[in-house]
Amino acid sequence: MKLATQVNRQLFLSLLVLGSLGCTQGEPPQFRLNMISMTSNELDSEYQQEIANVLSGLFGTPDEPFAHPATGLNQLKLDLASGPAWSDKRGYSHGLYRQHCVHCHGIDGDGYGPTAKILNPYPRDYRKGIFKFKSTFNAAKPTDADLHRVLANGVPGTSMPSFELLPSSEVESLVEYVKYLAMRGQLETELAAYVFDELGVEEVEDESGTVTEQRIPFDPSASPDQAEAVLDILSEIVAGWDEAGENVIQPAEDAIPADNRSDEELAASIDRGRELFYGVKANCIKCHGPTGLGDGQQTDHNVWNKENMDYIEATTSMADSLANADPETEEEELELDREWALLKSREEVSDTLLPVRNAVPRNLRVGVYRGGRRRIDVFHKIHAGIAGTPMPGLGAAGPGAEGTISEEDMWSIVDYVLNLPYEAPSQPQRALPTNHSNITQ
Amino acid sequence: MSSKFHVIPASALVLTTLGVLVGCQPSTDLGPVPSQAAAEKIREQLSGDSEGGGGGEAAEVGTGWATLKGRFTFEGQAPEMPAYNVTSDQATCASGGAPKQETIVVGSDGGLANVVLFLRKASRVHESAQAPEEPLVFDQKQCVFLTHVFTVPVGQPLQIKNSDPVGHNTKIDGKNGFNRTIPAGESVSFTPKKAEAKPASVACSIHPWMSAWMMPHDNGYAVVTKPDGSFELPNLPAGETLEIQVWHESSAGSNGGLVVNSDQAKELKWDKKGRFKIKLTEDETKELNVAVPASAFSGG
Repeated sequence: MKLATQVNRQLFLSLLVLGSLGCTQGEPPQFRLNMISMTSNELDSEYQQEIANVLSGLFGTPDEPFAHPATGLNQLKLDLASGPAWSDKRGYSHGLYRQHCVHCHGIDGDGYGPTAKILNPYPRDYRKGIFKFKSTFNAAKPTDADLHRVLANGVPGTSMPSFELLPSSEVESLVEYVKYLAMRGQLETELAAYVFDELGVEEVEDESGTVTEQRIPFDPSASPDQAEAVLDILSEIVAGWDEAGENVIQPAEDAIPADNRSDEELAASIDRGRELFYGVKANCIKCHGPTGLGDGQQTDHNVWNKENMDYIEATTSMADSLANADPETEEEELELDREWALLKSREEVSDTLLPVRNAVPRNLRVGVYRGGRRRIDVFHKIHAGIAGTPMPGLGAAGPGAEGTISEEDMWSIVDYVLNLPYEAPSQPQRALPTNHSNITQ
Repeated sequence: MSSKFHVIPASALVLTTLGVLVGCQPSTDLGPVPSQAAAEKIREQLSGDSEGGGGGEAAEVGTGWATLKGRFTFEGQAPEMPAYNVTSDQATCASGGAPKQETIVVGSDGGLANVVLFLRKASRVHESAQAPEEPLVFDQKQCVFLTHVFTVPVGQPLQIKNSDPVGHNTKIDGKNGFNRTIPAGESVSFTPKKAEAKPASVACSIHPWMSAWMMPHDNGYAVVTKPDGSFELPNLPAGETLEIQVWHESSAGSNGGLVVNSDQAKELKWDKKGRFKIKLTEDETKELNVAVPASAFSGG
């Protein structure tokens, strides 16, 4: 006992000495690769290195971002948002992303900053280029104004605070940087698919007719075909951002409820909304539950969690397959070795993933609206659904298309939803039961 | 008393040495660090006004057209498909018992359904390969998508139907992102505009067991094997090497590539990505019968 205490004390003091020595100046931070994309496409370390090089060529590093002309991004804004956080003599802030965002959203914008593990919901991973709170059609990117609004207002009911106190120019720089990380992340995933699809090993026949296997390197600076393909992929991603403005949902003027509705008119609209909420057309009840507490269908996932879940399941299934494998030939044995190595790298990635969480439909009775509580914000959610989540839309899928229900009806659902928290005094709603046994994995 | 003070620095020294060796090394889980020289070269090449432009070797182009047809079969005992876990709307969705999963569908005569075959790159496209204007009906009944795997030319409208008395929503992943409620007994129109490199997942959030796959393509050469395992790809470019991708949702290969290792497959240079190469002569109808072993499937 006494000995143990002494040892512990020694250890403690030793660690203190060690801690005080510290490490020398750290390396500048680097973007890390999206290992789900890399291993899902079976890319070896050589291809990973080449993809890192291409991404660095097109987007630079966390300390020195590059606004490639094809992205249309503003270099000055990126410079202000990136790099280490500091203030210059005039008091202007630099390194805004690392000052305000990185601890949750991570250096890569992968939503895996140091705090991610303890937050619910998890911070957004920008790398899919999918954003939930926006004014555009489901499949479209958000506008700058949408991202600006999220930064200014925060996301109520989550850990995302408001940055309203920052000067507008700083918020604009951060919006630019978020778009930068989103474009970069999406390009990374698509490059991984490109390398899997188009490159790899090819058989080459020399003059004597001998066939050898040759690895096709991924180096767009040496291959005009690859350069063209990479720029095509990038342009398609950027086009999505450029088209966001054309994809804003414009509510029809004649369907927007009048500002001066009488109590009776409002009550009638709320009644209509209630009917739709419970009906088989709008079908809101299925997920938001018979009492609007969000206690309906709770076993689905958003795209971010689903990707992790599918990855983990595929890895487990691969482990089962390999454990039962019985190679007969030398060739099969070599193949099996390759698969074991792949499995090992997949398992390493699986171990780093955040626990998978279900998509829990919103409790509509608490009066907290993540995407904003303006009538138009709620209208956009009902019209387009919420991108990346199970929430479907009721409106047209794109400009000019037809919706499932009329816009008048959608506005009535808005009235009903916004009225839900204001219950009759005689009928207080119970809170959602805390025993979510049916929504854990 | 004094001996204690001798001990502490000694262990500290050991730990410090360890620390220097381990703690201050750049962490290895960061993955590869980009090479600055390579990145600069790439930036220089890819930021200029000139796009370099093509320049690749001219692909061989043949003349005329040919057909590839055949049948996929499951080798050995077909796996028993478990029932879906029907968690809601039991009256509609499980009136006759919960429906069976469709991750591997094998017919009574061993035919393997739901294999997708598509031509990766078409040097030329037959005039018959126009996207039809009449919509392709994609229906759901008893909370099952009636077409489990389908191909659709970009530009052809989908008529997403709901033949159930309960509401559904149809959520399509991938480049043609879509998520809409489909009211009971009604249908919604949607036109995929972008081709994919592999089938995209189709799901219903209200009934999460519901699953289907959609392959939008832009060259007209994409087909799904029928319940008896048969398929036909007509009007393929003849006289040139075609690379056909073979995909199955439960394939053990990456990205769904179905890998077959038979002697016949070796002749076709069937690779680990589930692709084979074939060259057809003009007006030829090539018959291709493929037996797929259980090991080609995930968990098999």
